[in-house]
Amino acid sequence: MSLANLSFFVNEAGTNMKRSAMMAFITIATIGIALVMMGAFLLATMNLESFLEQMQAEALVTAYLKPGFAITDAKTLSLRLTSLSEIEDIEVVTPDQAARELFSSPDDQKLLQIGISEESNPLPTTLRIRIKSGNHLESLLEKLKSEPMIDNISYGEDLFQQFHGMSQLLWLISLVIVIMLGLASLFIVYNTVRLTLFMRREEIVIMKLVGATNWFVRGPFLVEGFIQGLVGSVLAIIILFAAYQFMLAKLVELIPFFTANVGFDQLFKLSAKLLMMGIVLGISGSLLSLRDISKFSKSTPEGV
Amino acid sequence: MIELQGVTRIFPNGVRALNNINLTINPGDFVFLVGPSGAGKSTFLRMLFREDTPTEGKILVDGKDITQMPESRVPYLRRNLGIVLQDFQLLKRRTVAENVAFGLRVIGASASEISNRVQEALEQVGLSHKRRMFPTELSGGEQQRVCIARAIVNNPLILITDEPTGNLDPMISQEIMQLFLEINARGTTIVMATHNHNLVNKLRKRVVALVDGQIIKDEACGTYAYE
Repeated sequence: MSLANLSFFVNEAGTNMKRSAMMAFITIATIGIALVMMGAFLLATMNLESFLEQMQAEALVTAYLKPGFAITDAKTLSLRLTSLSEIEDIEVVTPDQAARELFSSPDDQKLLQIGISEESNPLPTTLRIRIKSGNHLESLLEKLKSEPMIDNISYGEDLFQQFHGMSQLLWLISLVIVIMLGLASLFIVYNTVRLTLFMRREEIVIMKLVGATNWFVRGPFLVEGFIQGLVGSVLAIIILFAAYQFMLAKLVELIPFFTANVGFDQLFKLSAKLLMMGIVLGISGSLLSLRDISKFSKSTPEGV
Repeated sequence: MIELQGVTRIFPNGVRALNNINLTINPGDFVFLVGPSGAGKSTFLRMLFREDTPTEGKILVDGKDITQMPESRVPYLRRNLGIVLQDFQLLKRRTVAENVAFGLRVIGASASEISNRVQEALEQVGLSHKRRMFPTELSGGEQQRVCIARAIVNNPLILITDEPTGNLDPMISQEIMQLFLEINARGTTIVMATHNHNLVNKLRKRVVALVDGQIIKDEACGTYAYE
């Protein structure tokens, strides 16, 4: 595409948007509203997911050591494990401590009856491990399993499975919503471009008569789609983050210990995604409308 | 320049618009296409700029068979043709100069080239002083002149025109015809469908008469009569 063509397309797109300002507004508003809704769902999902991750991180992983190791061995192991990036901190629980914790329970008489005493303690030395976040669990488990001193690991499997399932479901729901909203707005963009195409039919006929290629005819419409997508998504991002900030402020007032879980880098990534989606929506809506451009370019209907 | 070999066009409704047309038009020719309404004149012209394709037969333009031409090459064929139709087909929201420039914009000409060639074409049709006006501010004859300027701005090999004087009074028609003669004198081949028998009879150019999709007359210095 030559520079002369590009500047012609941009000029044409600008003039056309001015002429059919209402159509341009409808397209921009459709893209904007769809993206605000998509963004809101994605933000909610991101927040919920990071909340779930926090909850997971607070769960403890307990590693039971094989019998026959001295407490010093357990402490050496604990020191070595502390250097792992997944681990927040480790507490070594000796069999004595574990038994004392058990004996303080109201049923210690019963425990004595089944043979647990300070002298003969069947409880293993255990490591109580706090992880940095739920994301780190899988890799940590792999590393712990490869430790020869460790016999058994327990980490509240059911809870993790539930959280994992819930977060997957959340993403699935928001994916479905994003796709549905995307298709709905694509349909509206398609229709508005189609309408402007009918309005500019005469122009297209003349363009084709003087030797314009189909891509040349499409050019201004595609530039228009790009501009509308861009403007729609920028507006959506502004509205979305203003509303998000407002809601966060309100939530902090209502729930004093509430903290936002989604960081600036995630918000930036979300903005980039919304911007891309807006542009893709604008251009693909136009492209879809323009696929049969040659139908519009007949100077007279078929007949004698 | 143009050669039709056994060209037949049958519409989906069964109407035979053109029936086994064989015709050769040489470079620099001025050909009037006459005949009653519905004789196939417009279909004939539409075939020449690939707005329609024949059901049978071949059409050669400048040595190339345009019936076999892929759709993507059609714009390049049209850049060598000038097309002027009866209903002026100007963009009402664009000035005279912008309308004429349209033919150059689509081929990606530079701004200075566009400006020079538009000026030249408007001078040829005598409208350079109205370059900033809009089509609605012009008379019918002037609007048709703008269409002619747009058609010649690319220096086409062939000018195809369908009833260019159909909406104009006799005086203006004569002026428009004079313009076509001048364009023809510079070497452009002209194929014109018309019902204007006065002009045809007066100019004594080649006349091809079509009736019911068939050529019934082809005279070098012909008259309008085809009955």
